[in-house]
Amino acid sequence: MPEIIIDNQRFTYDKPGKVLQFILDQGLDLPFFCYHPSLSIPANCRQCLVEIGTPVFDRATNSFKVDENGNKIVQFFPKLMTSCSQDMSDGMVVKTHATSDKVSRAQKDTLEFILLNHPLDCPICDQAGECPLQIQTYKYGPEGSRFEFKKVHKPKRIQLGPRVVLDAERCINCTRCVRFSEEISKTNQLTITARGDKNYPTTAPGSTFDDAYSLNTVDLCPVGALTQSDFRFKARVWEMNQTPSIDITNGKGTNVDLWVRDNLVLRVTPRFNPNVNDYWMPDPGREAYHLFNENRISRPEIKLDSELIKTSWNNAKETLAEIVEAHSPKVVFVLGSAYASVEENFAFKTFFANAGISNSAFVPHVISGSGDGFLITDDQAPNTKGCELIGLESLSEKSLSSLINKAKVIVILNEDIIGRGLASISDLDGKTLIYFGTNKTETAKAAQLIIPVTCIAEHAASYVNTEGRIQRSMPAKETMYTNRSLHPEMNAGRLDRFGTKFDNWRSDNNRVDAYPVWEFLSQLAPRLNQSVNWSDSSNLFDEIALSIPAFDGITYDRMDLEKGVVIQPAETEAKTI
Amino acid sequence: MVNDYQNYKTLILPSKGHLRNVSDYEATGGYKALKDVLAAKESTWTRENVINEVKTAGLRGRGGAGFNTGLKWSFMPKPDGGKRYIAANGDESEPGTFKDRVIFEFNPHLFIEGAIIGAYAIQADAVYVYIRGEYRSWINFMEKAITDAYKAGYLGKNILGSGVNIDMYVHSGAGAYICGEESSLMESLEGKRGYPRVKPPFPAQRGLWGRPTTINNIESLSNVPLILTMGSAKYAAMGAKTHPGPVLYGISGHVNRPGVYEYPTGMLITDLIYDVAGGIRNGKKLKALVPGGSSTPILRADQIDGVSMDADSLRTAGSMIGTAGMAILDEDTDIVDFLYRITHFYHHESCGQCTPCREGTGWLEKLLHKIKTGEGELRDLDLLLDLTTQMEGRTICALADAAAWPVRHTITRFRDEFEARCKKSVFAFA
Repeated sequence: MPEIIIDNQRFTYDKPGKVLQFILDQGLDLPFFCYHPSLSIPANCRQCLVEIGTPVFDRATNSFKVDENGNKIVQFFPKLMTSCSQDMSDGMVVKTHATSDKVSRAQKDTLEFILLNHPLDCPICDQAGECPLQIQTYKYGPEGSRFEFKKVHKPKRIQLGPRVVLDAERCINCTRCVRFSEEISKTNQLTITARGDKNYPTTAPGSTFDDAYSLNTVDLCPVGALTQSDFRFKARVWEMNQTPSIDITNGKGTNVDLWVRDNLVLRVTPRFNPNVNDYWMPDPGREAYHLFNENRISRPEIKLDSELIKTSWNNAKETLAEIVEAHSPKVVFVLGSAYASVEENFAFKTFFANAGISNSAFVPHVISGSGDGFLITDDQAPNTKGCELIGLESLSEKSLSSLINKAKVIVILNEDIIGRGLASISDLDGKTLIYFGTNKTETAKAAQLIIPVTCIAEHAASYVNTEGRIQRSMPAKETMYTNRSLHPEMNAGRLDRFGTKFDNWRSDNNRVDAYPVWEFLSQLAPRLNQSVNWSDSSNLFDEIALSIPAFDGITYDRMDLEKGVVIQPAETEAKTI
Repeated sequence: MVNDYQNYKTLILPSKGHLRNVSDYEATGGYKALKDVLAAKESTWTRENVINEVKTAGLRGRGGAGFNTGLKWSFMPKPDGGKRYIAANGDESEPGTFKDRVIFEFNPHLFIEGAIIGAYAIQADAVYVYIRGEYRSWINFMEKAITDAYKAGYLGKNILGSGVNIDMYVHSGAGAYICGEESSLMESLEGKRGYPRVKPPFPAQRGLWGRPTTINNIESLSNVPLILTMGSAKYAAMGAKTHPGPVLYGISGHVNRPGVYEYPTGMLITDLIYDVAGGIRNGKKLKALVPGGSSTPILRADQIDGVSMDADSLRTAGSMIGTAGMAILDEDTDIVDFLYRITHFYHHESCGQCTPCREGTGWLEKLLHKIKTGEGELRDLDLLLDLTTQMEGRTICALADAAAWPVRHTITRFRDEFEARCKKSVFAFA
């Protein structure tokens, strides 16, 4: 097997690649800015310079030349080489800053140059705390600068597009954003303008950076030059905690991280998953945080004299039980939702099935032609496949309205049928509508009883994407009934752990008064003489795995370790009960 | 060393008038080399033979790097059925260089002939002539010459009935120095921003539009018909041994008769200044010489005795031949101002792709401005020298080197003048 020697350590490699990527794969450290594994290699930041030597090959004897001790004679390139663009070759010797003064000097020099015209405004810069330039300057940079002149001034606060703001002075011209728009989103909306130290990225005159993936450039930017319009100056990164989750704005199941401070989701960033979304996510998914924070239903509500008023949980349970008991199961219609998770739909369906109500279905939300073949799918909902797998009947819009007409009581799980145009308020006249929901939608307003449920940011639940991959979320926000420091799956940021309750960033205002669907139904179960007890979605999922063959053998642990589990198509067919 | 240069008969430049018309050029024996080559393309002048002839003639690129042209051609991979190109570099943006201009003006067909032979030799389908945008009139000359050559059947389909197809296009640059660098020239030809490309892959593997490409200087290609006419042995015997052939010396600066002069390589610098260019103007003394364009290291007047204009002699003297665009500075020259102006140029022209060059060139200029205005301190000189080592050899292309060398060598060779311009740091006791 070919080998490469890095800082006097011998490594073997099995497939060809670049030196920098190999060094990073070994867990060794080497600073770089412009390189990105999913983009082309421009080698322009010159931060990853290393000394590289290759053994001298003797064509005459068809072997490597050796010295008197039998060691291969290694010839070093006279110049330092960029490790990002250098292909590995057998017997190559690489010296990084760990063993070469020349390299560590070069790293210092390059950082001194980069910082020359970089405004050192870290205290007000959004990137501070997660800034490669900041980190690498502390690690490898010079102690100070010998530059005594005025810095070059460039445009600031340029609104490149609807979602991205540019501060050209902070830009270090790594061209990652330009390459992203050329190679990944393929809209070619960005370019570098001007020359030399006046360079900065911008759009063509008269055009805006309205790419559906534009915000990925904000993640790519190794400094604070590109920032997200609606996250600028909102929070420092070290104040937030970061929780793995899933994008629920379409069927792709893009892996994301939710960044939460004071139980508000402040931003959504992509999480690397080579099987689903690589490093990227579409912009609509980033705006989903509005759904988690705003217009939430908190505490049950009940309609009295056509006015929704807040009520107690006991009253809500009692009212719900009375409605179910007062009607024959035949006139009760249960509508699940592709916007809700596998666990929620399963609990919902099972609970009402136990009560004798077998009319359960869902309406897929697919708008053909709205996808782009990359990370935006035609399917608008995150869990269409999951609903099918747990045996909810997939309804067309027409059959839904006939079912609504027949029913006297309609129980809906987080599906905005009025907002989606599946039904109108007049269709629901004279019917009792019970709405389990996260947000106060049009349908919620038409309901007689609203049961608030937690959203994806508040519970652990799994979703099956259009490709049949089941992935799960973790709770990121606290509700009234969860506690970050007691919950084993909740992340606590620095301030969550070390802050006090008097800190001004911390309040209880943003904790929603809601239970997960399964928890609420478990509480309701004794009242309706049922014995279900789902206190925890992990146990609930184990129950699903036992009762539905498609999910056989799948657990939360497997989803975590394998970055999502693909449900085998054969099992899918075997399942349809 | 060339002693009888007074009797030298020019080969590239016509002795009188211009040869822009095909008929004038043909009357002086023009396009004969091309006809001979294409007539004997199955026998004497196979493609390999043409390449070997140019290789053995020892023609070294005239664009600055001085690489053997024939050897460069031989790097082209075997044809795979796709397109192959020659890019002829007439960007000429190095300050002090203006030699290709006279070829465009006085003998464009010599270049066209050389380019066609070159394209034949490496089986290129097209020649792109990249001319700097400031040369508007010269672009017009070239365009007319190419149109005429098409009409006369030297370009286009089935050239002179030989079955060889070669097209030629003129591309005007947009005024960037960096586009004279071969890989950014290709980017510019492709219609992109002139950023140099990372090598490898080299242009011979992946050049224009990802296809094999050879980039040659205009003057280098203009030498090709001469080699084939006179034979490689005679060409190789001309001028300096390791760097043979005629060369266009672009002499500028404080001389009585500045201009482009054609002589064999290896001319004594003193001959060129005091005889060819008519000596230093106003009877002044020589102070310094920049032998091959602004990026080549400066030589002090006391360094040039016995130094001749060829790659090896100049390397021994501590400089480079570059493009043979000599700038002569007389004793009144303010060397600090001179260096400031050069660093200003490189700051202005750095494309901004690589960090050391983007930031370093600006810093050099700012430091020299400080020294120029009398605000400099002695430590600034050491900082300047330090910066040159920080920049040199750490970038994709050679612009950082080109910016660093003049600074390093001018300061080391004229340190006393720089120190005199700096603020005093040691004061005598009263």
